[in-house]
Order: sequence, then structure tokens, then C-alpha cells
Amino acid sequence: MNSIDPVGLANTVLGGALLGGLIALSAVGLSLVLGVMKLVNLMHGQIVVLGAYAAFYLAAFWGISPLLALPIVFVLGFAFTAPVQHFILAPVAKHGEEAGLLTTFALAIILENLFIRFFSGDSRSLDTAFSRETLAIGPINLPTIYLIGFAISLTVCLAVWMLVTRTSFGRSLRASSEDPISAAIVGIHVSRVRWGTFALNGGLASMGGVLIALCFSFTPSSGSEYLLTAFAIIVLGGLGNIMGTFVGGIALGVIQSLGAYFFGDGYRTFVGLVMLIILLAIAPNGILKRRRSL
Amino acid sequence: MKNGISILLSRIATPTRVGPRDFIIVAVLAAIAFAVPYFAGTYQQEVGFRILQLGALAAAWNIAAGYTGLVSLGSAAFFGIGVYTMAIASNAGLPIALCVVLAAGVAGLFALIVSPALFRLRGLYFTVGTLALAEAMRIFVVNSPWFGGQAGIYLTARAPKAYDLYWIALLIAVFVVVCVLLLLRSRWSYRMQAVRDDEDVASQLGVRTYRTKLWAFGLSGALIAIVGSIQALNQGIVQPNGGFGMSWTIDIVSVAIIGGMGTKVGPWVGAVFIVLLGEFLIQFPEIHLAVVGVVLVLVIRFMPNGIWGTLTLALQKNRNFS
Repeated sequence: MNSIDPVGLANTVLGGALLGGLIALSAVGLSLVLGVMKLVNLMHGQIVVLGAYAAFYLAAFWGISPLLALPIVFVLGFAFTAPVQHFILAPVAKHGEEAGLLTTFALAIILENLFIRFFSGDSRSLDTAFSRETLAIGPINLPTIYLIGFAISLTVCLAVWMLVTRTSFGRSLRASSEDPISAAIVGIHVSRVRWGTFALNGGLASMGGVLIALCFSFTPSSGSEYLLTAFAIIVLGGLGNIMGTFVGGIALGVIQSLGAYFFGDGYRTFVGLVMLIILLAIAPNGILKRRRSL
Repeated sequence: MKNGISILLSRIATPTRVGPRDFIIVAVLAAIAFAVPYFAGTYQQEVGFRILQLGALAAAWNIAAGYTGLVSLGSAAFFGIGVYTMAIASNAGLPIALCVVLAAGVAGLFALIVSPALFRLRGLYFTVGTLALAEAMRIFVVNSPWFGGQAGIYLTARAPKAYDLYWIALLIAVFVVVCVLLLLRSRWSYRMQAVRDDEDVASQLGVRTYRTKLWAFGLSGALIAIVGSIQALNQGIVQPNGGFGMSWTIDIVSVAIIGGMGTKVGPWVGAVFIVLLGEFLIQFPEIHLAVVGVVLVLVIRFMPNGIWGTLTLALQKNRNFS
């Protein structure tokens, strides 16, 4: 990289910001689960992959456009993860934090290998009518799909934020996250709140998977990368801070794109991971220390 | 960090006494295992190699995770360091034994370098940090110009025969066992278990927690790298997804948990179980790991102390009642 071309750089930064906002959707649920259930959900990446496959097969068999499939994918993700929490994760909670963590690790292994078994190891991608279109703003060209995904992600994040701050479920959720025992004493059904949170995370993560798959190809083994990206985002944005997660996503997108711009595309994820480790070490509660919305 | 698993485990692990009897048992078992190539075929030697390899890896992981509470999902980073050190050093013409020592040294150095960042993280965050570290290492090796990229590096050293590999693996397994036993006889094990059960209290009692964790993490990583360096000899070619792949972490974690975290014998029981399960499912490679995952879920839920831990507890109970 001898000379830095300003238009290319602006393109990279803007594209990265849009992409990061889009990816933030897959991270919002992870942050809720960590806040409410004190559970590091290592199967998160596989739920994201599952959402991508659901949209892929909905498009392949019934010709449903991935964007129209988003509500269906949300329902599928919700329905898939609700029993996982109820029958598998809730019973091991009494063995401590590590038991839950390692159980989700085992579930991630199971899911990933079932994906390989049933969906084959091939790399897949989602196509829409405007996948290859770009939108020109002056000299800057941005893929239309990034803009659409960004808008969808922002809308859903706002909806989740409303749900958490403005509804009675949100109140129970915040109470359970703050102090589960006191919450139970004042009559909140904490285990039901956890169940709802985990299933909500399932729905959100699978929708996030659809958006990611619209921009990048995916394989059954993409899960761990999605998980770590989502982690980097929530650590940047601050735990349980929903709009913070969205901003964190934008920040990560910009950082990753700059990394890819200066060091080559292979380093896109590497830059994010190194930043995650440094951030965890220096500021585990996030750099956006504003008002906590959770 | 005080929680269910460590409370349950400390019941078993704390009274662990290591006496001369343990060393004699190890010597007898090693002598029997040494004789295996004289009457068993190549297939049995390969299965034996795999058991010794996984057992040694899980026993090494157990030093950090089982006794010190540093549940790491970054074992693949250390394993990969071992694999690549062997490839690069042996291609440079160094003798194999020196390469193995070098692998351990590089891994220890790596632990030292990453510890300031990782040890600021407690409990679950430490686990996530190690997972990120291993992935970062893999991606770095894929993309950097020095390690042969995706294609990897071919070893110029002559590939060892099945029985040679088996004996090398046995030697290393015995080395790991002796390390663990000596560690359990020393004061370090008390410091480590104190850090695991409650880091803050341990620190108040005068345990240098950082140093204790670093020794445990470094030793664990160095032993994992030694096993990794042998895997490089076994394969003849090293590649990022093989050396730094998540599959090694998955194997290590499932072996240690199914056998029993924080017990001396657990990792070896787990290794026998996992390898035999793999041989049993050899016709169905695609569902093999999924089955391992299901077993893991069941073990965590119904016998959180693993096979060996559950057996020990049951025996202790019987002895108390009779």
C-alpha cells in the first residue's frame, strides 16, 4: 500500500460501518443472554448459521426471497431454541456457570456436525434481486444490500430496545438480570423470563444469520467465527446495552474493514479477534460506558 | 470463582494423595504398554497411539482447567505451536529430541506473552478470551507469509514407523503423568486448588495468584505443545486447520470432562472411552462428533464429575457406610 486513495478509504469506512451495523443484529441476543442468564452461549454461532440455512432452503424450495423470509426465520429460530433452554440448559444451571458454558459448547459441536451431515460442507450464499447492485453517492459506491441490511438491523434493534425498556416483559427481564432472587420474591417468573430471553436470542441470531449470508458466503463451520465476531461487538458496545451493541457493531465493522484495507482481506477477522482480546483485557465492560439500558 | 463444578470437584481432588504406590502403578502400566507392539498389529498400535495422545493432551489440559480453574478453549493454539515448531525446526535440520524441547519452550514463552491480557479475565471471560486467541492464531498462520499459508509445510524428516510413534507417544504420556504426579505432591497443587476454589481468598492468604496461574497455564500449554510436535511427525505435513483446528480443543475438552475433570485418572479413562467410541463409529464418521457432543451433554448433566469422579465418589460413599 504505497499511497492511500481517499475515495477508496471512504468507501471502505462507509461500507464497513454499514456492514457492522448489519452484523450487530446477530450480536444483540448474545448480549441479552449474557446479561439475563449469566450464560456464555457458545452455540450462538451455530444458531446464526442455522438461520442462514433456513433462509437458503426456504429460497431453494419455495422461492421465498431471503428478506421476506426474515419473519419466518425468526419464528423458526425462536421455536428451535426455546426447548433447548427448557430441557437442556435449565437443568444444568444448578451445576454452576461452567456447566452451562460447556453444555453450549457440546451443543455447538452437535449442531455443526449435523449441519455437515445434512447440508454438506459446501459453501453457500443467499441471492436476492439486488445482490449485485450498488448505490452511488458521489464517487462512493455502496452495495445496496448493505444499506437494506443496515436498515433492517437498526429497525429490529430499536424494536428490541423498546421491548426491553418499555414493556412489562422488559421490566421482568431487567429485574431478573439485576437480581434474580429479589425478582423471584416480588413475583417474577424468572425461569420463564430466561426461557423467553434465550428463545428471543435464537430468533434474533437466526435473522442476523440471514443478513450476514446475504453479504458473505457461509459453510457449516462458520459458527465459531460468527460467535467471536458477536462477542467482539458486545464487548465493544457494553454488556446488555442494546443500542450500544448496534454502535459497537458499526465500530467493529469500520475497524475490520480498515484492517482488511491495510493488511489484506484475510486479516479482516484477525483484526477483530486481536481487538477483542485487547478490549477484554483493558475494558471488559465495554468502551461505551453510558447509561445502561439493561 | 466459586461455583457448582469446582465445589463438587474439590471434594474429590483435594484429598488426592500421591504416594509411591501411584508411581509403581504407572511403572507397571507403562511396562505392559511398552510390550504391546511385540504382540499387536499396526492397527492396535495406531489405536494405542491415539489413546496415549488424547490422554496426554487431556491430562495436560487438566492441570490448568481441573486443578487451577483456568477452563481454556484455546488448547488448539498451544497444540498448533507444537506442530509448527516441530515442522520448522526439524526442517532446519535440528535433531528431533531438541525440536520437542523447543516446542515446549516456545509454548511456555507464548503463555508468558499472552498471560497479562488473559489473566485479567476471570471465569467465563477467560474461556472466551482463550477461544478468541486460538482462532486469532489460526487466522494469523493462514494469512502470514512465513508459515506456508493454507497449503502448510512438508516435513523433510523421515516418517517414523507405527511402533516408533507408539513408543514415542508412550514416553511422552509417561512424562506427562509423572509431571502431574510430581505436581500433585508439591505445594503448587495446593496453591492451584486454592486459586481455583476462590481466587480472592487465595490471594488474601498469601498465594501469589498470578504466578500460580502462569505456572499452571504455561506447564499445561508446554505439555500440549510437546504432544503437538509428535503429531507433526505423525502427519508429515502441517497445515493451519489441522494444527490450530478447533477439533483438537473439542477432543481435549470432551476427553477430560467425560473422564473427570480435576482427577488424576479421569483423562486416561476419557481417552480410552473417546477413542473406542470413535473406532466403534468408524463406519459413520459424519455423526461421530455429534455423538461425542451428545455424550458430553449427558455427562455434564447426569455425572458432572465424569466417569472416574463418579466412580470414586460412589466407592467413598460405600466405604463410609460399610
